[in-house]
Amino acid sequence: MKPVTRAGRALLLWALVSLPGLSTTGCASLGWQWDKWWSDVKLPDFPAFDEYTESPKSYVEIALEHDFLVRVKPWERAVLARHDMAWDPDALEAARREHTFFSKEATMPGGSAGGGGCGCN
Amino acid sequence: MRRSRRESRRERAALRALTSSALALLGTAGKAAADTAIDHYESSYSFSTYSEDDLKKSDTIPGGETKRYEINTQQLSLAAPVTEWLDLSLLVTHEHMTGASPWYTTPDAAGTPIQIMSGATIQDTRNDMRVHGNYYTDSGRLGFGGGYSKENDFSALSFSTDGELHFNEKNTTLSGGLGSSFDDIDPTDADKYPTRPDHKTKQSYSGFVGLSQVWDRRSILEGSFTYSWDRGYLSDPYKEVFQVGGVQNYGDFRPNSRHQFAFLARFNRHLEETESTIHLSYQYYIDTWGISSHTAELGWYQSFGDSFQIAPHVRYYSQSKADFYVPYLQFGQPKLEDMSSDFRLSAFGALSFGAKAEYVFHTPWFRDIEWRTHLSVERYLSSGDLSLSSVSVASPGLVSFTVFSLGVDVAF
Repeated sequence: MKPVTRAGRALLLWALVSLPGLSTTGCASLGWQWDKWWSDVKLPDFPAFDEYTESPKSYVEIALEHDFLVRVKPWERAVLARHDMAWDPDALEAARREHTFFSKEATMPGGSAGGGGCGCN
Repeated sequence: MRRSRRESRRERAALRALTSSALALLGTAGKAAADTAIDHYESSYSFSTYSEDDLKKSDTIPGGETKRYEINTQQLSLAAPVTEWLDLSLLVTHEHMTGASPWYTTPDAAGTPIQIMSGATIQDTRNDMRVHGNYYTDSGRLGFGGGYSKENDFSALSFSTDGELHFNEKNTTLSGGLGSSFDDIDPTDADKYPTRPDHKTKQSYSGFVGLSQVWDRRSILEGSFTYSWDRGYLSDPYKEVFQVGGVQNYGDFRPNSRHQFAFLARFNRHLEETESTIHLSYQYYIDTWGISSHTAELGWYQSFGDSFQIAPHVRYYSQSKADFYVPYLQFGQPKLEDMSSDFRLSAFGALSFGAKAEYVFHTPWFRDIEWRTHLSVERYLSSGDLSLSSVSVASPGLVSFTVFSLGVDVAF
């Protein structure tokens, strides 16, 4: 075994044996009185049961509290109010196209409910 | 000072659109939905001609019918305020259809299916009327609708209810609805064709939920899920299935129940720099007949000043085939429980593109009406080659068509 390694092991052994002794006896040289130090710590009152069991907030709840989804104020809606910003600016055309695609393809149009079928052939 | 009606209408329109997030989802005579009842009358009229390309000569028997459907459609809508928190709208559609439609497919000498068209020219009209009422509250909307559609051989009675709830200072909107339709089918010439039933019924029940979010001052986003259950006679009484060496054709037999699911996402954004608005949408659809489909659409609304707009759009669609789609039955092949040669149940893809020109003007000298006139054209092409899924043999009945449309909206 190399001398360096041996010295290291000896130091480690000394530390393991002596440090707990120093600290538990309140060795003046370190200036710590562990039991007194702990006595200074004021534990909080035991929380009420429901408070204690409250689940942490989800990211969604936090986001909502911080107005994450409130992105546009009423006075900022001029662009959103544009005619061409509607999902279907031309309702008649939308209804006609929907009916045509429905008649010639096997897919149901999404985003709404109801409406009669057709005897399309 | 007395404000002009146009000014006040503009202001009210802006106010009304405070929650343009709510927009639309109206199944029926839809005005662009907002969060208050409309405060003026709106009426629209549109005339369109739909015409299908002739069948290719190589896709049918020599001398066979190649003409297909032509439809003239007229639509008229009227929306009116009833009280501050109630409005009503009405949409009437009148269609006249004429032409021949795909009947069944047979193999040619090489075994490739070719299309046989219905012999007699079909003449039919469809009249459809829908009413929809909206009740508005501070935080939402509740709508009720009903409709009746009548053709010579078909009638449908439908009901719907839908609603919206606004959250987050009306930046977020939850919407949903339920609908049902009760259809009666009375095929013509049922006595002449053994495969056509006398009288059949089908019912459809559907529901959807959607969530829309104002993304920023210039963009809005929406996702929705739609489910529908169809039951009853879902076959097409006018289609038949041919069997090689068979004595006579079989009828079209489809399962008597179908569950459908559609997931739709759409996004609108306005680009102030170029005065243009982009509409993007994508829908994934799947049903219990084995069909799944993708639909993607891009619209571009380009304004030139306050009154003129050109709006080109392109749409791509691709579907897989139904489990029971067969072009024809082979010689000696046993009859299948479910089978259909309908091209609409085959695998194909479709590309459509078109453009609309719109001109808006006011007549201050005549009741200060706002007129919105538009002219549009759309071309639709479908083929097996356009499909995302591999198509072994494309249906010869796949349709391509052109639609011209002319319309006017008035607000007064």
